[in-house]
Amino acid sequence: MRKLMIASVRTSLCAVVLGALALPAIAQDNPTLTVYTYDAFAADWGPGPALKQGFEAQCECTLDFVSANDSISALRRAQLEGDATDADIILGLDTATIGEGKATGLFTEHQLDLPDFDIPLEWTDDVFVPFDYGYFAFVYDSQSLSTPPTSFEELIALPDDFKIVIQDPRSSTPGLGLILWIKALYGEGAVDIWEGLAPHVLTVTSGWSESYDLFLSGEADMVLSYTTSPAYHLIAEDEDRYRAARFDAGHYTQIEVAGILASSPNQELARDFLAYLVTPEGQAPLPETNWMYPVLEPQGGLNPGFAEMIDPQPALLLDAEEVTANTRAWIEEAFSTLR
Amino acid sequence: MAGIPSNWRPGRRYVGASVAATVALLIAALLIALWVAGQRFATTGSSVTDIGYLLATSATQAALSTVLSILTGMALAWTLDRLRFAGRSIVIGLLSTALVMPSLVIVSGLLAIWGRNGWVNVLLAPLGLETGSSIFGLGGIIAAHVVLNGAFSARIFIDRLAAIPSEKLKLGRSLGLGPLQRFTIIDLPTLAASIPGVAATIFLLCFTSFPIVLTLGGGPANQTLEVAIYQAVRLDFDLGAAVSLAIVQLVVCAAIIIPASTLSPAASLFGAQSHIHWPERRWLAAAQRVVLAILLAGFLAPLIAVLAEGFGAIANVLVQATFWQAALTSLVIGTLSALLAIALGLALGMARALQARGSLWRAVLGFPVFAYLAVPAVVLSLGFFLLARLTGLAPAAVAPIVLILANALLALPFVFATIAPPLEALTRRHHRVIRALGISSFRQWSRIEWPLLGQPVGYALAIAFVFSLGDLGVISLFGTSEFSTLPWLMYRALGAYRTNDAEAIAAVLLIVSVAAFILIPKLFEKLTNARN
Repeated sequence: MRKLMIASVRTSLCAVVLGALALPAIAQDNPTLTVYTYDAFAADWGPGPALKQGFEAQCECTLDFVSANDSISALRRAQLEGDATDADIILGLDTATIGEGKATGLFTEHQLDLPDFDIPLEWTDDVFVPFDYGYFAFVYDSQSLSTPPTSFEELIALPDDFKIVIQDPRSSTPGLGLILWIKALYGEGAVDIWEGLAPHVLTVTSGWSESYDLFLSGEADMVLSYTTSPAYHLIAEDEDRYRAARFDAGHYTQIEVAGILASSPNQELARDFLAYLVTPEGQAPLPETNWMYPVLEPQGGLNPGFAEMIDPQPALLLDAEEVTANTRAWIEEAFSTLR
Repeated sequence: MAGIPSNWRPGRRYVGASVAATVALLIAALLIALWVAGQRFATTGSSVTDIGYLLATSATQAALSTVLSILTGMALAWTLDRLRFAGRSIVIGLLSTALVMPSLVIVSGLLAIWGRNGWVNVLLAPLGLETGSSIFGLGGIIAAHVVLNGAFSARIFIDRLAAIPSEKLKLGRSLGLGPLQRFTIIDLPTLAASIPGVAATIFLLCFTSFPIVLTLGGGPANQTLEVAIYQAVRLDFDLGAAVSLAIVQLVVCAAIIIPASTLSPAASLFGAQSHIHWPERRWLAAAQRVVLAILLAGFLAPLIAVLAEGFGAIANVLVQATFWQAALTSLVIGTLSALLAIALGLALGMARALQARGSLWRAVLGFPVFAYLAVPAVVLSLGFFLLARLTGLAPAAVAPIVLILANALLALPFVFATIAPPLEALTRRHHRVIRALGISSFRQWSRIEWPLLGQPVGYALAIAFVFSLGDLGVISLFGTSEFSTLPWLMYRALGAYRTNDAEAIAAVLLIVSVAAFILIPKLFEKLTNARN
């Protein structure tokens, strides 16, 4: 019996390994375009599958998403692989990490005539193409909190047992977003805001998932997330209790981007994919799988649930080079108050 | 006692030494690959500055966690050894489950009990005794670590106590030993052989703990060196700094491991399962029941909470094809890495059993077992990734192999802590007879060791299997949408707002783990007893 089990395990493992080796062989007549991205994008319920289907229908190619824990990890992976990398495109860096991306020297200009985007700023970058965007905000449960704070000062003034849960800026995009948000609003005074926030910080999780889970299970009153997070609960779960707290001074913007690697042998195909990504058809799956705003009107329009989200104006965004130059110092400054 | 001649069983010595050398070489190769790769990139330099502080906090936290885990483990083992009740084997099966679950699951289980909206607060609220969010902070980290590792040490200790030869128990009984004498004269010497290995394992686990420290720590005040290394890699991409920090961590851990593995008292007691049950006096047995009930509430409540939260949604998950794919991958990888871990553990354990206490070889053979735990996960997975690239294979093709290898090595300290002491005890006890009769190495295994080692080997297999089943560290660099394991699927569900799916997968993982912990050791007991 055990022998049999081992034998069958062995064959299935061989099948797995051989299958993995055989994949390129099957698709030999078609070029393969490989996109490195963060995992939620490539997952079954992410935008990946719909984009693959849509793009493969017109490109006579195979589109593969390879997922890493997060977009920075995807970038690091391509960096490690050097010229031998399979990646043609890295998708998922954002306005806070564009500088890191450019510093690697891996990317080449996209050379596309981009459409008019419906995003909070004039897009002038030659290397990266924006594909969706959102705003950071604190999400709360309206059933247990009737009057959410409308500014960082109001949040700080709440009693100490009012808890927020945030993410580690070194491993999480929203975590870094909060650092930049406070910096954009308060500049030199950011450290005082962090001092005030410290007693309210229940914990700092490594990723967004853990923190959101803590919030949903009632451990914290608010969680740092996106203005569009309530759209998920509204559209997918038909649940309207979760809301984003609108801060009058404005919300920090996150624009997600994709770029082509200079080492890619499929430059033309990679350009085609980025162009497809910013067509109404390519934008269509994004809002309700990635839960962010599309960069232009998607095919079939935007689900009306999104119209119920708070107005994040004024949208805040710091200059990418300034962010790259100061990220570490700002993280250190914020963290010194939490120790 | 008279030593074992140094030329006896050369085969076992060579095999053990080669395994140790291979594991050490692999770790060296991982570090070198990373360091060499790091030379290629311009970096602004690592911004990790507070290494001294991190080392101090990590060490303090780990030491506290270790001492408390060993003490609670002993208390649990002592009560479970003396008491008999319905469901005892299920309780023992449940004991190690927490250790091998993805930490994410354990954290949510703990919070379901101790959190602001947890069961404890719900019960205490009417009395006006709410604990608020006190689970976050150093106390919370230590509590989580004790739940994970106390149960594991208890499990090992129970097996050791159960293996006390019945003649010893009969003698103790006829001498009328009191409860305290009985514990110090009979139990402690048996446990002493396992304590250093178990303690070293627990210390390393707590020292390098990552998700628990981050989630329950309450922020940067409670962080480990492991987190800093993660920062050096991810944010600064300063691989050189990551390797240096990893070496610092290795050296600190070595300072713990080497004394523990060299100076550990030799196991001297070992027999088959004794079927003698010698309960304590009535008043003490009653007290033991109370102690056991309190401890079990602490250990099992978080697991029950995980089950309770996920159970309702299991049906939704079972209809997803991706779930079955991930489940199959998990099972195959778990089985293969468990077999590999056992093979490595036996090879090292047999060689080490031939060494005199305190000899250099003992340390050399013990170190690779633990070294792997001391290497930061991010360094491991990146190093493996680079080695995979060097072999010219696509990550997708090597992913299963890396997962099997990495998980087997991660489980090795647990396997070793389980099977090395009994192997050593057997060798010490019977080597003269074996030599006098000229029994071959193979027959020594098939006639003497295998029949008596059924339980520890079964448990070691279970722990290695479930370890890889719960792995979320290695898979995170090699997982893709096509190649996914259950914990990976769970993590992805969490990342896509699908909390219910994630809770259901956690519950499934828990059920499979408990089943493995109950069935695999039972199966092995049957297999070995059939040959007695």
